[in-house]
Amino acid sequence: MIITFSILSAIAVISALLAVRLRNLVHATLTLMAFFVALAGLFILLMAEFLAAVQILVYVGAVGILILFAIMLTQQVTGNVKEHIEAHGALWGLAGATAVLLTLLLPAILKTALPLQPVVETIDPSVRALGLNLMAPYTIALQVIALLLTAALLGAVVIAISPEKSEEEKKS
Amino acid sequence: MLGIGILKGMVVTAKNFFGSFVNKRLLPTIQYPEAGNSVTLFSRNIPFLVYDNDEDPLGTMRCVACKICEKECPPQCIYIVMEKDANGKPAKRPKVFDIDISVCMGCQICVEVCPFESIKMDSTFELSTPDRFEGLLLKREHLLKSNTYFHKIHPDEAQEVDDRLAAKQKKPAPTPSTPAA
Amino acid sequence: MTPINPDQLIVQLTQWALSFLDSYPLVAVLVAILLSTVPLIAVFPGCFAITTWLERKGLARIQNRIGPNRTGPLGILQPAADGIKMLLKEDIVPKTSDRLAHFLAPVVLMVPAFTILSVLPFNRNMIPAAVDTGVILFFALGSVSTLAVFMAGWSSRNKYSLLGGMRAIAQMVSYELPLVLSGVTVIMMTGSLDTTKIVAQQQLSEWIQSSNAGLQCLGQIIGWNVFTPWGFAGFLIFFVASLAEINRCPFDLPEADSEIVAGHLTEYSGFKYALFFMSEYVSAFAINGLSTTLFLGGWSGPNIRPPWSDDPNALLIPGFVWFFAKMFALMLVMIWIRGTLPRLRVDHLMGFAWKFLLPLAIMNIFVGGFYYYAPRWHGIPVVGWPIGFLVMYLSYECIGRLNRGPKTAQRVYHYAS
Ligand code: SF4
Ligand code: SF4
Repeated sequence: MIITFSILSAIAVISALLAVRLRNLVHATLTLMAFFVALAGLFILLMAEFLAAVQILVYVGAVGILILFAIMLTQQVTGNVKEHIEAHGALWGLAGATAVLLTLLLPAILKTALPLQPVVETIDPSVRALGLNLMAPYTIALQVIALLLTAALLGAVVIAISPEKSEEEKKS
Repeated sequence: MLGIGILKGMVVTAKNFFGSFVNKRLLPTIQYPEAGNSVTLFSRNIPFLVYDNDEDPLGTMRCVACKICEKECPPQCIYIVMEKDANGKPAKRPKVFDIDISVCMGCQICVEVCPFESIKMDSTFELSTPDRFEGLLLKREHLLKSNTYFHKIHPDEAQEVDDRLAAKQKKPAPTPSTPAA
Repeated sequence: MTPINPDQLIVQLTQWALSFLDSYPLVAVLVAILLSTVPLIAVFPGCFAITTWLERKGLARIQNRIGPNRTGPLGILQPAADGIKMLLKEDIVPKTSDRLAHFLAPVVLMVPAFTILSVLPFNRNMIPAAVDTGVILFFALGSVSTLAVFMAGWSSRNKYSLLGGMRAIAQMVSYELPLVLSGVTVIMMTGSLDTTKIVAQQQLSEWIQSSNAGLQCLGQIIGWNVFTPWGFAGFLIFFVASLAEINRCPFDLPEADSEIVAGHLTEYSGFKYALFFMSEYVSAFAINGLSTTLFLGGWSGPNIRPPWSDDPNALLIPGFVWFFAKMFALMLVMIWIRGTLPRLRVDHLMGFAWKFLLPLAIMNIFVGGFYYYAPRWHGIPVVGWPIGFLVMYLSYECIGRLNRGPKTAQRVYHYAS
């Protein structure tokens, strides 16, 4: 358990670092996907198979592919970007990240009594429990997200349609 | 209904699939070296020289070495040398008659122009050889084939030719003047 | 000693073998893992070989040819000859290619292709990985193959490869939606993501456990999802979408050899090409296995209880026979389609997924919901079936008609008549 955990988290950390540091955009995306896969492995270790599957389905299968697609649609198809993007204010970025970590995660970490006992009995990560939770206490949140996504979808459709329309208007 | 076209297409291919097991017409493949060849009556590829008497090929060959075919052959692949008898008189017989079949394009023009019905199209095709130069240069001996053979490969055409030759022999007089007129 | 049950013979043998290792739990776990994975790795490449032969022969017959017949009787050794040729070929990697990605692409394709096989129930108690989120795991790992195809296309540094990779991404992402949505209907009706439960739901257990052989047979068939309106429509949508998902004809645009050489495979040769080729077929098997599981009753088929057994669940013919029979039948249909239909145009391909399959799949979900709640008469869906069928048929017609482009004038041929 510990060994698997250390290997997976090492892969996750290294590939996350690489994803940030690599110059080649496609390589960066590929390492990002490796990070997602490692994360899915960690989910499996936590007995959350469904979450792992969704992690791969959504992040590797959809988000990552979408990023690749976006890169492909830009000029630098090969991904060998010659010009350097100068990172100004790396310090500020670091500070911001640390602040987020401190405010969001630290309280949670401090609250839990380490070392943890296995909590399989108390938490039921099965699909059914997840679905019931989404349907009962978090219905509003689910609906809001659904609405947001639908709006985004409609927006995308509108953006995709409009240039064609104007051309037709010009013709007529 | 939408999609009927796809189903129809599927039926066609299914018919072809199952038909190929029962219907010879739907499986026209001939496995060449083992199951013979597929030479048809109308197949023509290179020319050959016709002779009449099976016993005496050189004596009864129809060619008179007039060299018309040599001149007319578009890729110039015929080479003819007329034979001369002892006192240097032309013998109306080719001494050399070569066709370079690596050059011959099977156009059949030599056959069309020959006034003596002596060069005809063959249908043999197993002509591959390990020798690129000599092997593809067919000599007089290779080219000579009997009228019987001609009858065998292209019976209709051979019969026509025979009839024509017979008619010509009956009234031999005006033949030489015809081309001029 | 339990009575011999032909259906469960392999399972019983495995358990018997494992019982010797009871005192070494770690070894037992390892052996159990091996026993469930090695057969997969052994059987499916074999199936792949047989299928390539079947495909060559079938396509040949469709095109009025004989097909391979020189290697062994009926050319049955052709796959072996192919394999030897592939392995002996030089492995050429383009100089400018991205070596790591170029090398990793076949592996990234191969691993998920074999992994997804493990969530398929080949028989009762014969599922390599019994997870309760089997279907979603299948789709998740299946979506990784898109990445592999893209890696192959991008890393080759060849414009044809890149075009192939781009086409593959666009196509696979689009067709994943109808694929998953048509599967969602089944998941909804079963109320489970577990593939074994999905199969169990398609068997009428009262009939199977009755004493009448005919009823036992029928009970294994009548419950298949494909015999319901939503199941039938879902099956067709799933099948078409799966054709696109595994890049098979008529959706083989990523490797359209008349346009872009061989697409993402252009720069691959030798063993890596063989790996690509094999993974493609293995994922074809996997996806056919999943459609068998979801719609065609998985491992259930006309089957009776062996006369000597009194175990109500015992079966005479092992379930995996039916499973593989159905999988191969679907594979043959794919070959048949490949011999029939020409390749789609790119815009038609996308339009077909987004404007036709997707609305149909969404409609299908509603029909499934209606079917579930419609009143039944003695358990027979007298209302749900006809109305569901009608709705599905009408929406098929309507969506099809809406998709018809503007009528083009009859084409005039000037020289050919
Ligand atoms: S084959 Fe005919 S045309 Fe040619 S030289 Fe002989 S007779 Fe003349
Ligand atoms: S067939 Fe044509 S190319 Fe061949 S020898 Fe006769 S004229 Fe020349």
